[in-house]
Amino acid sequence: MKGYLQIHDPLKPKGSVVGIDLGTTNSLVAAVIDGKPTCLPADEGDQFLLPSVVHYAENGSVVVGKFAAKLLPHFPNDTIKSVKRFMGKSLGDLETKKLGAYQFVTGKGVVRFQVKGGQPVTPIEVSGEILRQLKRKAESYFAGKVEQAVITVPAYFDDAQRQATRDAGRLAGLEVLRLLNEPTAAALAYGLDKGVQGLYAVYDLGGGTFDISILELVDGVFQVKSVGGDSALGGDDFDRAIVQKVLDARGITSPSNQQIASLLQFACTAKEQLTDVESATLEFEGVPFPVTRADFNAWIQPLLAKTGQSVRRALKDAGLTVDQVKGVVLVGGSTRVPAVRAYVAELFGKPALFDIDPDQVVALGAAIQADLLTNEARKDEVLLLDVIPLSLGLETMGGVVEKLIQRNSAIPIAQAQVFTTFQDGQTGMDIHVLQGERELVADNRSLARFRLSGIPPMAAGMGRVQVVFKVDADGILSVAAKEETTGVEQKITVKPSHGLTDEEIEQMLLDSIDHAEDDMQRRMLAEQRVEAERLLMDGAKQLKENGDLLSADERKSFEQQLARLTEITKTETNHELLKIAITEVDELARPFVGRIMDRAIGKAAVGHRMEDF
Amino acid sequence: MTHFELFSLAPSVDLDVAALEAQHRKLAMETHPDRVSGADAHTRRLAAEKSAALNDAVKVLKDPVRRAMYVLELKGVKLDSEHDAAKVKMPMDFLEEIMEQREALEAVKATRKLEGAHAMAVQIRAAKDKTLALAQVALRRDDVPTATTALGRVRYYTRFLEEVDAFEEELSS
Repeated sequence: MKGYLQIHDPLKPKGSVVGIDLGTTNSLVAAVIDGKPTCLPADEGDQFLLPSVVHYAENGSVVVGKFAAKLLPHFPNDTIKSVKRFMGKSLGDLETKKLGAYQFVTGKGVVRFQVKGGQPVTPIEVSGEILRQLKRKAESYFAGKVEQAVITVPAYFDDAQRQATRDAGRLAGLEVLRLLNEPTAAALAYGLDKGVQGLYAVYDLGGGTFDISILELVDGVFQVKSVGGDSALGGDDFDRAIVQKVLDARGITSPSNQQIASLLQFACTAKEQLTDVESATLEFEGVPFPVTRADFNAWIQPLLAKTGQSVRRALKDAGLTVDQVKGVVLVGGSTRVPAVRAYVAELFGKPALFDIDPDQVVALGAAIQADLLTNEARKDEVLLLDVIPLSLGLETMGGVVEKLIQRNSAIPIAQAQVFTTFQDGQTGMDIHVLQGERELVADNRSLARFRLSGIPPMAAGMGRVQVVFKVDADGILSVAAKEETTGVEQKITVKPSHGLTDEEIEQMLLDSIDHAEDDMQRRMLAEQRVEAERLLMDGAKQLKENGDLLSADERKSFEQQLARLTEITKTETNHELLKIAITEVDELARPFVGRIMDRAIGKAAVGHRMEDF
Repeated sequence: MTHFELFSLAPSVDLDVAALEAQHRKLAMETHPDRVSGADAHTRRLAAEKSAALNDAVKVLKDPVRRAMYVLELKGVKLDSEHDAAKVKMPMDFLEEIMEQREALEAVKATRKLEGAHAMAVQIRAAKDKTLALAQVALRRDDVPTATTALGRVRYYTRFLEEVDAFEEELSS
């Protein structure tokens, strides 16, 4: 972990510490200010929620957040959404295909997205951009450096996913004080702010992940009893369920990327509307598609049932029954869905708690943990005892896994096991590290392979190799193997084969530092360029489809303005000037937009802009 | 230090689990790596090791089967791993009995029906509890041979029940 340009001068103050919820759909940054955990502005317009969307523009610049989200339907290939679902995954082990319209670089190892404006990017880099934006916003809030953070991960994240998250933090120039499990963070926020005590369940349904944790809060110790969940189940799946119904109803069997992207947006809007009203209508390619809350509830039932299974399993692992649980805390934006709340209340036989904003609670908890870890005065207040979510083991004879550490063991933990050589004169032993619950190697996640060599030749069974697994307080594994009679030894920190190497990360960091100087200027220019490109694209489209609404003169003048903007977009390097040019075209287009709306909806529209289409 | 010594307890199969957990919380407050996050590398490593040892000890001591096996281990007989357990001779009739039960479980698994497996699990669990009680009595009397055979049986029963659990998870996933 050392040597990544994080050289600390002990005399230099380290700046403020923050807690970051790096979410599938939205990300947040929070800090303890005057003793109170508070979310910080994270996006344009000083909103707390930064959409976890990253757009890569033609000129190599990067746009993050709300702005990038607006570009998604226009540039589905170059705008990465829900990148968290790709963390620590290889193309092979993904159900990536259902996850969006991306173009992947084929090949082995880590997933890479082919995007405009440069090299293919990995999920770690994409997440790094989100973290960098949060860091930047926090720094402007504090008017000072932010170099240390607690970043949350789903409790159910495996080792590779944790490593990837930690690497993303390093890429963004953050020292990751702790990877904190999201439900634990939520419990911390409830425990400290609301004085909650006893056995609690945290039901965390986010955009792309589901987590359940059972915790006991006693005497300032937050002890996780068990965790469970599904790292590929969330509110995005609700959207997808709606999209599938629309596609089925329209008889579309192979939708285009554009169709999926725009349908997903409509579906998400409809889902959100159904939280407050009984029915919503989404419009797809000009034809309305009504959805009632009852329809929607029925469509997501199978997904809710999957969460129920995880809950039962977590309770069983903790050796508890549902009636021993004193309360359930709701976390994650998807728990706003009324069907989810009803399901949880029924499952636990008691209404769920949501006193703290379910979108913010994880970030607030992370901020508390960051404060506890760095603030001498608070050290004795609270302690978190967490567990490892999935069992860890080794491949043994016949492709069978021998578990060294069972899931839901408290961390940190170390376990050793002795294996004997099985052949006469055997001089090496292959160590294959696996994570998962299944019996056969093939059904588990392969974390690493290495070979202990240099064992002196002995009779079979005489060589004794001790393998030690150590899991640190972040839930990250290191493995050591040692031949007992000779002391021959090998140690590795498990680096997943589908992660990035340390060298790659170091290079990326160097690259980002090279380009850091006029970052802000470049970024604002990039945003305006993207805005201009979008306006030009829309303008051309509307001219083609609705050009007959303009007189010959109007058309000519509009075309000239578009041509001028095209030129300015290419050459102008001052973002302010580019913004003015955009506003001019937008003003000019206003009457045109009005007529198009009249045609489309049959009623006058005032105050709309081109982008509303 | 033994698991018991970490908690200043005398080795025994009888233990107040709630008191153990309270004691663990108290010790964790002193030894967890988070308590020394600002300290030097050596101190942090020691804290991590101590903390890992406590976590391991609690895991063993709060489970009655593992606790009994650990007490037996302190009396010189290891049963915890495949390797060690293989050295303990089990009575033939017991091995035959468990083999039959395993075959029956395999047959039930082939039908993909959980009810059959559950019914077997209820029987095995009762046998396990009874045998564990025997082992505990023997350990209290310091009767190592009886305790060894009894815990050897418990070990087989436990494996059987784990297999039922795994089957259940497989069916539900």
